[in-house]
Amino acid sequence: MGGIRMSYEPPITDYDHIVEDCTCAFCGCNCDDLDYLVKDNKVVAVRHACRLGASKIMEDIDQRLLVPMIRGDDGELEETDWDTALDKAAELIAHSIRPVFYGWSETSTECMKEGLELGEYIGAVLDNQATICHGPSLQAMQNAGYPIQTLGEVTNRADMIVYSGSNAMNSHPRHMARYAVFPRGYFRKRGRFDRTVVTMDPKFSDTAKMSDKWIGFEQNGDYGFYNAIRAVLKGKKLHADVISGIPKEDIYELVEQMKSAEFGVLFFGLGLTHTLSKQRNIDIAIKMVMDLNKDSKWGLTPMRGHFNVNGFNIFMAFETGFAFGVDLSRGYARYMLGETNTIDLLTRKEPDVFMVIAADPGAHFPNGANQHLANIPVIQCDIHWGPSTELADVVLPGSFIAVECAGTSYRMDGVPIYMRKAIDKPATCRDDEWIMRELKERVMKLREEPNVAPKYVPNPAAE
Amino acid sequence: MEYILKNGIVYDPANGVNGEKKDVMFKDDIIVDSVSDNAKVIDVTDKIVMPAGVDPHAHVAGPKLVVGRLYRPEDSRRGVTQKTAIERGESGFSIPSCPTTGYRYSRMGYGTVCEAAMPPLEAKHTHEEINTIPNLDIAPLPLFGNNWMVMEYARENRIDDLAAFCAAWMKISKGYGIKIVNPCGSEAWGWGMNVHGYDDSAPYFDVTSRQVVTALAKANEKLNLPHSIHIHPNDLGHPGNTGTTLETLKSIKDIKKSTAPTASKRDQTVHCTHMQFHSYTGTNWKDAGSGAPEVAKFLNHNKYVTGDVGQVTLDETTTMTADAPMEYDLYRLSGLKWANKDIECETAAGLIPCIYSPKNPVNTLQWAVGLELFLSIDDPWQVCLTTDHPNAGPFIRYPRIISWLMSSPRRMEMIENREVHKWAEKRTTLATLDREYDFNDIATITRAAPARIDGYTDRGELTPGCKADIAVYDIKPNEFDPSKNPEEVEKAFSRALYTIKDGQIVVKDGEIVSTKPSHTIWTNVTGLEDEEARIIEEIMPFFRQYYSVKWNNYKVHDHFVPNPIRVDVPIRQ
Amino acid sequence: MFYANTYLDKPVVDDLEQIPSEGSEKILHCMLNTGSDIYQGACKKRGSTLKEEYKNASGTCYMDPRDMVKLGVNNWDTVLVKTNFGEVVLNAAKSRDAPHEGTVFVCKGPWANTITSHETYCCSDPTYKGIKCTVEKTDRKVLLMADLMRLVYKKYVDETDDKVVENMESLGEMPVYRGRKWEELE
Repeated sequence: MGGIRMSYEPPITDYDHIVEDCTCAFCGCNCDDLDYLVKDNKVVAVRHACRLGASKIMEDIDQRLLVPMIRGDDGELEETDWDTALDKAAELIAHSIRPVFYGWSETSTECMKEGLELGEYIGAVLDNQATICHGPSLQAMQNAGYPIQTLGEVTNRADMIVYSGSNAMNSHPRHMARYAVFPRGYFRKRGRFDRTVVTMDPKFSDTAKMSDKWIGFEQNGDYGFYNAIRAVLKGKKLHADVISGIPKEDIYELVEQMKSAEFGVLFFGLGLTHTLSKQRNIDIAIKMVMDLNKDSKWGLTPMRGHFNVNGFNIFMAFETGFAFGVDLSRGYARYMLGETNTIDLLTRKEPDVFMVIAADPGAHFPNGANQHLANIPVIQCDIHWGPSTELADVVLPGSFIAVECAGTSYRMDGVPIYMRKAIDKPATCRDDEWIMRELKERVMKLREEPNVAPKYVPNPAAE
Repeated sequence: MEYILKNGIVYDPANGVNGEKKDVMFKDDIIVDSVSDNAKVIDVTDKIVMPAGVDPHAHVAGPKLVVGRLYRPEDSRRGVTQKTAIERGESGFSIPSCPTTGYRYSRMGYGTVCEAAMPPLEAKHTHEEINTIPNLDIAPLPLFGNNWMVMEYARENRIDDLAAFCAAWMKISKGYGIKIVNPCGSEAWGWGMNVHGYDDSAPYFDVTSRQVVTALAKANEKLNLPHSIHIHPNDLGHPGNTGTTLETLKSIKDIKKSTAPTASKRDQTVHCTHMQFHSYTGTNWKDAGSGAPEVAKFLNHNKYVTGDVGQVTLDETTTMTADAPMEYDLYRLSGLKWANKDIECETAAGLIPCIYSPKNPVNTLQWAVGLELFLSIDDPWQVCLTTDHPNAGPFIRYPRIISWLMSSPRRMEMIENREVHKWAEKRTTLATLDREYDFNDIATITRAAPARIDGYTDRGELTPGCKADIAVYDIKPNEFDPSKNPEEVEKAFSRALYTIKDGQIVVKDGEIVSTKPSHTIWTNVTGLEDEEARIIEEIMPFFRQYYSVKWNNYKVHDHFVPNPIRVDVPIRQ
Repeated sequence: MFYANTYLDKPVVDDLEQIPSEGSEKILHCMLNTGSDIYQGACKKRGSTLKEEYKNASGTCYMDPRDMVKLGVNNWDTVLVKTNFGEVVLNAAKSRDAPHEGTVFVCKGPWANTITSHETYCCSDPTYKGIKCTVEKTDRKVLLMADLMRLVYKKYVDETDDKVVENMESLGEMPVYRGRKWEELE
């Protein structure tokens, strides 16, 4: 083993009180059984969180954004007061032609409401992390269908779990522990022993190490592999001996196992959405699950990566009718993948103002897209200094949702959870909802609402 | 602010007003019988004045709506409009966005909608959507028919405990009444199965639909709820299901209705929803026929039953229901994109687009069965106009259905000109039914009857003290023959001359002129707190182990219901 | 200073069995895979992205040990990874998820995204996985996050020559701004 010392930390006993049943604000599991041990308005310990959740909650205060800042002419950020920063941001937005508001997945739906009002007013594009994450899943769902279930159903009924293109132990560490594999469900009282776990991943990931079966198909071989499964399900014989690096006997065996499951669930992640076939991978995975329902009962769930990325899609769907990449610049909602999504907008150099809230494009957008962020003013609303701050011109320090501020979020399976507040935010920070509202009100003072139709014109297709 | 609607021709069936020239007066948000001279006069001389519409069953807010919107951008694109100074941009045809839903109902003169299905685990989502719909009062019905705890209580015949459970769960989810969808069937769907007929039982839970439904009906009456059980029977959409439907309704016959004042508005002990989908004869789609005459006859002889029709409108629409196995069957039939959502311990939902084509024999049969039901049920107080939006068609088609009901020539034209398939005359009695609804009947089935059936005491009528929810339509009934002018009827009822909600004019000349936030109507049973606490304590170990959220995070917090209309229902009256 | 007790200097990496000094190949042609990793996630959301630990968690190219032997690199040596979209200097480390000879894995983050593809093929998602790359040994250093952002985007420097920017004085591991420090705000 490598020579890293794992330091032993004794349990924290010095705390004032415990706030129970808090919700973790990291991945799409939204575990709502966290207990925060609070002392002097600081969270000194957290119980039941996984490594990711715990690390976010026990934050590194060095990089906590505590004051509003504006980038000076010499290229260095300078502290300023809230009014100046908000006025500067509002001015940038109000006079922009093609503003893009990106992010939203790590803030509450209450904040999104204010942000959408601002976006509708000024005519912005609203987009969230689904655009680099599960956008292909949404696109495939629009083509093929969407058979899902809540996580509790998986706990109670599932006897076969398949992880495909998802390394749950790294991206959703408690997924197997609290929901899918280990818990003792109502009909699966022996927990792990009543379930078969299969991981389909080109590498022998940490999740594969915990599975009963690892199917290591070739990189970019997902589509061919699922196609083979579907062919076998339909009773066809495979001609090739090896498909995507997997021998056909293994495929036949796997299909038999899947067909004889009582309740199977496919959890899929970015391994499917990011490889070359993108939405076609998900498309065929969905169709495979639908085919499996002829012989058995199967469902699937996309492993959403942030605690409110699903919330934004749900929120935008009921407010505007579309899930993400919603372009409101003409006064009505437009949605066209490849046109109104952030990455494409950036590579075509269309936006002239970019607001990032509760997201980090500096870290997670490819170089080719971020180059345009270096050309335009960027407004950042966040809690930590990060790669996006290195590209930001106005920085607005928000508050930590689910710890310092309450809010509603939607889990990866769509279950809404109201995340409670445990401590007060730092005096110099503000709630995201307040920040958006202030921006909205200031923009409304600076500019009359553009793109308003003088008279209501019904859409003939809806009559 | 005081207003007087002058000289309108008023149809107020709850007060026996049938086409009388009368003034209607309101002050602030309620109807009054006199106003001062300062009252603003709105001249509606000779135009139709009715209470605002009450829709007893539509799917307008909730998780499955979002699944539909997410996976059907083609439907969203279909209804896109540009924002105006008053309205936000619209979108959607069969699944409108939330603001769009409010605007479109308002334009038709509606003021109240009952959201037909709310899963308690995701109730917060339903409420977030309700808060985004303007201009309406919405009463969500939580789902009970496949709930694991309900099935346990029903099997053991623990009616008192079941009543406490329902009371507690309506408080927790801020719901209005007891909704039952394909009892035991959506639980069977948890294993990919379904139940067939009324006496089939759910796997493992070993309880029949009959036991679940009768137990819930008894609990409903014990609680003195304003609304009766609201049931979507088993076997929806299957040829030959008339038998199941009638069995279901018969099983409620001997259950005594509560005599308490809170339950006194209604006459029924069971409300059967979208009856059209439950009224087929035959054994398969080749020999299927209409069971409407039998179902109508049953309603005619049994006043304890009411229903809404679920009329097919012959559009491309999206079906969505908590009857998830049925949606899967439709997927196997049509091959269109299918969505499904199973909800732990409680219920399930399914969606699939549906193209009701007038050229298709089965769709024509469905269309005709709905109209047959309307025309064969004698008493308009027992039947409501719905399309089970969006399942049989979008709610914007209500005016078209009204025009069909009022015009026998139009119906015959559709049959004779082969606008619809010949099964309309071959498999149903529709061609022999020349009854025509008049404006009073229409006012009954779209306002007065739904309000009475739902148990609302403050709407659906123009009685002083009731809410000032009023609609005015641009038709002069005394010089107009609806039978000969179905297009005019449809046009007038699509764009109200005035829609007034809580005394605020929200629509004028068919256009939205103002918006207001909606209210949520929910039922608060009082006096049963100890029993509810005991039940919850008993359930707690189960909840902790098998639900994926914590109990503290399960309930709908008060701030999700910022504009409540709380209906207090004491257990002892 | 309050450091979270989940702080980890370097991700845990197994020892290599054979320790090569000189490899058999100068340039490896591989497939690049990027994605999430638990150490990267923990640093990112904790907010320690300016620090060494994030550089080591995210600025690391996990390789199959056989590839490391071919190239002649040991754990924590530096390698230069190039694609059609850019180049970046990374730490080399033995992958926990081997065997995957011919594929290298870089955790998502600014280092990986210097070389990933922005092509979406009308699907909204860029192509983060399955990109052809080359890997070679280098003497250049792995940059801290702030220095990397400065080099790749040069938003607030006038200098355009990459070599000059790369060798500028490091911006360090703490936020650089004019204003009150957090201790004053306590």
